[in-house]
Amino acid sequence: MFFVLLKKELFIELRSKELILSMVVFGIAIVLAFSFSSNLSRTVVMDYASGMFWITVLFVSALGVHRSFAYEKEYDAFSMLVTAPIDRGLIFLAKWVSGFIYLTLMEILIIFPFFKFLMIDYPSNILIAISTTLLVNLGIMAVANLVSGIAMRSNLSEILLPILFFPLVSPIIIAATKISTGVMLNESYGVWEIWVLIVGSIIIISGLAGYALFDYLVEE
Amino acid sequence: MTNYFQKRINQWSLSVIIILFIINILNIIYNTPMVPDQHWAQKIFYVHVPSAWVGFLSYFIVMISGFMYLTSRDNRWDNIGLAASEIGTFFISLVLITGPIWATPIWGQPWVWEPRLVTTLILFLIYIGYFMIRVYGGYIERMKRNAAALGIVAFINVPIIFLSVQFWSPDIQSHPQVEMTEQPSEILSPFIFSLIVFTMLYTVMIRYRVYVIHLNNGMNEDV
Repeated sequence: MFFVLLKKELFIELRSKELILSMVVFGIAIVLAFSFSSNLSRTVVMDYASGMFWITVLFVSALGVHRSFAYEKEYDAFSMLVTAPIDRGLIFLAKWVSGFIYLTLMEILIIFPFFKFLMIDYPSNILIAISTTLLVNLGIMAVANLVSGIAMRSNLSEILLPILFFPLVSPIIIAATKISTGVMLNESYGVWEIWVLIVGSIIIISGLAGYALFDYLVEE
Repeated sequence: MTNYFQKRINQWSLSVIIILFIINILNIIYNTPMVPDQHWAQKIFYVHVPSAWVGFLSYFIVMISGFMYLTSRDNRWDNIGLAASEIGTFFISLVLITGPIWATPIWGQPWVWEPRLVTTLILFLIYIGYFMIRVYGGYIERMKRNAAALGIVAFINVPIIFLSVQFWSPDIQSHPQVEMTEQPSEILSPFIFSLIVFTMLYTVMIRYRVYVIHLNNGMNEDV
């Protein structure tokens, strides 16, 4: 059933393409804003590149996850979804995995302009950079989908989502920035190991909380 | 429903806590010794730390009541959760006000990204969102479920938020709360007394607030 739900999530996007498109355009717009605001000072950019990247991802993921749940509000599709005889926790898992895929796709599309616009070098160990980025994406999307489940059907969901999401995701942003800085500077794993553990803990906690609580959140 | 203060136990508990609180404040001002480097600023800790304790205790109660509400759907748990979140946020605000007041003369600036203070600020922001869920949550039963879920999510994240902020900037010094237990008895005894008085004040406040919320809900149902 999980794969049916995941297929549904991915098919909706495959047909409309509005989610990925809006995430990418928004992402590039933020990178542009960072380029202008940093004056392209090499010192500033090198010091803050990791932070800039994750702030971009943070804003874009808030936009993406809101849109992903907004689909369900249209024509009251969510009511039909939750009346289906399925484990509601699986809806959370499908949203989580589809969000993770969208976010990763968006990053693939903006990573080239990000490095080129800010005139910074690619990390030397690409494999570690990719694997840690995927781990952080998983964490961000776990929190984002959990918060979105809470805020989704409130009257001010588009305002409530970032208000709740940004403070709750702050440990991941701290960890992601530390990890990326370590990878960019080619530091050994031991230096930033603790941050990988923190992201791992958040994935487990938010994943379990989302799976367990989603049943109550989507109840009619 | 009888008036809250018609009950003798409630009259007594309020009277006792007012007297104890006045004694506590006078004790802090006149009896506690001056710490050489900190002078009057140190006395803020007799209010700051108990406020933090009560605030976090209150948010813990929000989590427990959220869990109980989701499993039982008993409105009394929702009332307790709402009361605890309001009073908890009041005490957490006190922490965020008294922390910088202490830090200004001691560290030379009001905000130094001290891990406990940052964790408190993040939690405070999450609870602002909690109140917005309460107001703009839409359909009332759904709003209560969402608020209960958020109360649980907010508190289970506290250790992670604290750890991440602590590791984020390990050079930043912690305030002397950790060493409070190692202080001489003339500091430790009034501190523990203040902690007890604040906890007692909290129990009186939450009981009264739950009563008012219950009364308010009853009036809304009558309308």
